[in-house]
Amino acid sequence: MQPKKPVEDCGQNYRGENLGSSNADSFGFCNDVSLMTVSSNRAVMLLLFFVTFYSLDDWLASLTLCISRVMKRSKRKEDVQTSISMCAGLSVLQMQEHHILTMVCQISYQVDLRLKMKVSVTTRSGRELINGGLVLDSSATVADLQEAIHKRTKKYYPSRQRLTLPVQPGSKDKPVVLQYKKSLKDYSSGDSDTITVVFKNLGPQVSYRTLFFFEYLGPLLLYPVFYYFPVYQFFGYKGERVIHPVQTYALYYWCFHYFKRIMETFFVHRFSHATSPLSNVFRNCAYYWSFGCYIAYYVNHPFYTPVSDIQMKIGFGFGAIMQVANLYCHIILRNLRSPSGNGGYQIPKGFLFNVVTCANYTTEIYQWLGFNIATQTVAGYIFLVVAASIMTNWALAKHRRLRRLFDGKEGRPKYPRRWVILPPFL
Amino acid sequence: MAGFLSILKRFYLTAYNWIVFAGWCQVLYLTLKTLKESGHEHVYSNVEKPLLLAQSAAFLEILHGIVGLVRSPITATLPQISSRLYVVWGILYSFPEVQTHPIVSSLLISWGITEIIRYCFFGVKEAFGSTPYWLLWLRYSTFLVLYPTGISSEIGMIYNALPYMQESGLYSLWMPNKWNFSFDYFYFAIIVLVIYLPGIPHMYGYMLGQRKKVLAKSKKE
Repeated sequence: MQPKKPVEDCGQNYRGENLGSSNADSFGFCNDVSLMTVSSNRAVMLLLFFVTFYSLDDWLASLTLCISRVMKRSKRKEDVQTSISMCAGLSVLQMQEHHILTMVCQISYQVDLRLKMKVSVTTRSGRELINGGLVLDSSATVADLQEAIHKRTKKYYPSRQRLTLPVQPGSKDKPVVLQYKKSLKDYSSGDSDTITVVFKNLGPQVSYRTLFFFEYLGPLLLYPVFYYFPVYQFFGYKGERVIHPVQTYALYYWCFHYFKRIMETFFVHRFSHATSPLSNVFRNCAYYWSFGCYIAYYVNHPFYTPVSDIQMKIGFGFGAIMQVANLYCHIILRNLRSPSGNGGYQIPKGFLFNVVTCANYTTEIYQWLGFNIATQTVAGYIFLVVAASIMTNWALAKHRRLRRLFDGKEGRPKYPRRWVILPPFL
Repeated sequence: MAGFLSILKRFYLTAYNWIVFAGWCQVLYLTLKTLKESGHEHVYSNVEKPLLLAQSAAFLEILHGIVGLVRSPITATLPQISSRLYVVWGILYSFPEVQTHPIVSSLLISWGITEIIRYCFFGVKEAFGSTPYWLLWLRYSTFLVLYPTGISSEIGMIYNALPYMQESGLYSLWMPNKWNFSFDYFYFAIIVLVIYLPGIPHMYGYMLGQRKKVLAKSKKE
């Protein structure tokens, strides 16, 4: 008696895509036994099989199949292999088509399993982030893994995840961070088809464009307030303000600078995949906006004392040249990165980069020096010193990184001897 | 050579801690004696010299941290010591009008007890290598009361000095000048008071964390 099989849902693959439904008669056995991996309730399944295969001949078959089904669901290789052998045994014993088909399907499932990578995702405290782990194609990349994690954990979008390989407890090594473009196979040891990754929540992220835009918007808008509006009355300075030419030029220079920075953010800079934590928005905006107001207060002050005409011209002239040079440096840096956003490192070449690793920071510092020579405020010089020290930190890190990457071994070019940021000092 | 240097370091730190310990003992003793005999108005004038010496010596502790002589992180020592030096030199020493205020006494008693325990603790640790449990307990428990009393006294003294800052214009520089710079000590004090707000939970939290860590470790041993 041929049992009547209901039309079954073939279940879902790891991406959560439905495999579609099928008519039981054609591949029915395969589908419902082998590929239903996700939703079924175990007890209901067992009952269904018993009922479906009810007949004296087939009770052995149904019992065997139930057991093998249960074992297959355990996903352990040994259990799957056992269930295959049971089906093989049944096929031999009973020479029935459906057993052979089932066995074939299970073998193909097993083979298919071998082509997959099983990923277990834990937090740094050892807790499993995703129960049961994930199953991806062996050719999957880290980016695919991040997408899969995001699908299962709604709030952890890919840029919020930091995935590393587990570190031996007590080891002082820094954990290896998984690069989003690399394939998972690059990180799994040897030929293994399982991998454990450690997840860290980086907190809400914003793109660098967003971060830079808001940082620079503050100084651009706040400085003119001190120039155009009678704010000094609130500081107790009554009466008319006399505006010196240098103050007007300073306004244009300052606003042009921050306008240029915003334009570069949208049209010149090529950002790698990276984002920045949301908290940096507040921290960076506090820095830029506070210093912007601090400097604007003094340069536009009613008691402002201008420098000599020639000093002003030298200051602004030098600064303007440095701003143009800075723009050119940014264009050179942009062309180092391919449009596909590869994010790889290259040795910067051309223009001032032949002499200084971080020529963009050099020109930026000199540009502020020009502004300060022309406007001469202690506030401006404080800002110059602070900005220069921050940039020097970045420059040292970048210089070290480039020297480490381009060590001259294994066919890689050797990083040439260059100043880091400010010849002849560093 | 290394052995000699480490002995030298130990000798120096032992000497430093015990000398400053003696200084603070003197401060506390004179404070209490003056309070009993003359009243709170005279406390500062009697205590001024040892106080200035003992508190200013703490500046060396910043150097110790930078050079690596001691393990304390500079993020914890710097705010503590700068607030102390600011109150002693920038408020008490600079504005005689506030020296007779009763809060001076509460300030000096809080500081005195805390510093005596602290320097005794470090002095014993450097000299003998370890400290008795009761001293450890004192060092990491008395702050629970003395931080609040000490910090509120500091804030109180700064607040008391505000009108005199405005009046005298001390340490302030006004425009116009060649360098287009101004500095208003009064507004600077207001900013310091504002910084105290997040500073207090940071320092108190740090000490609480230290307490938990140290007392738990000591219990295990």
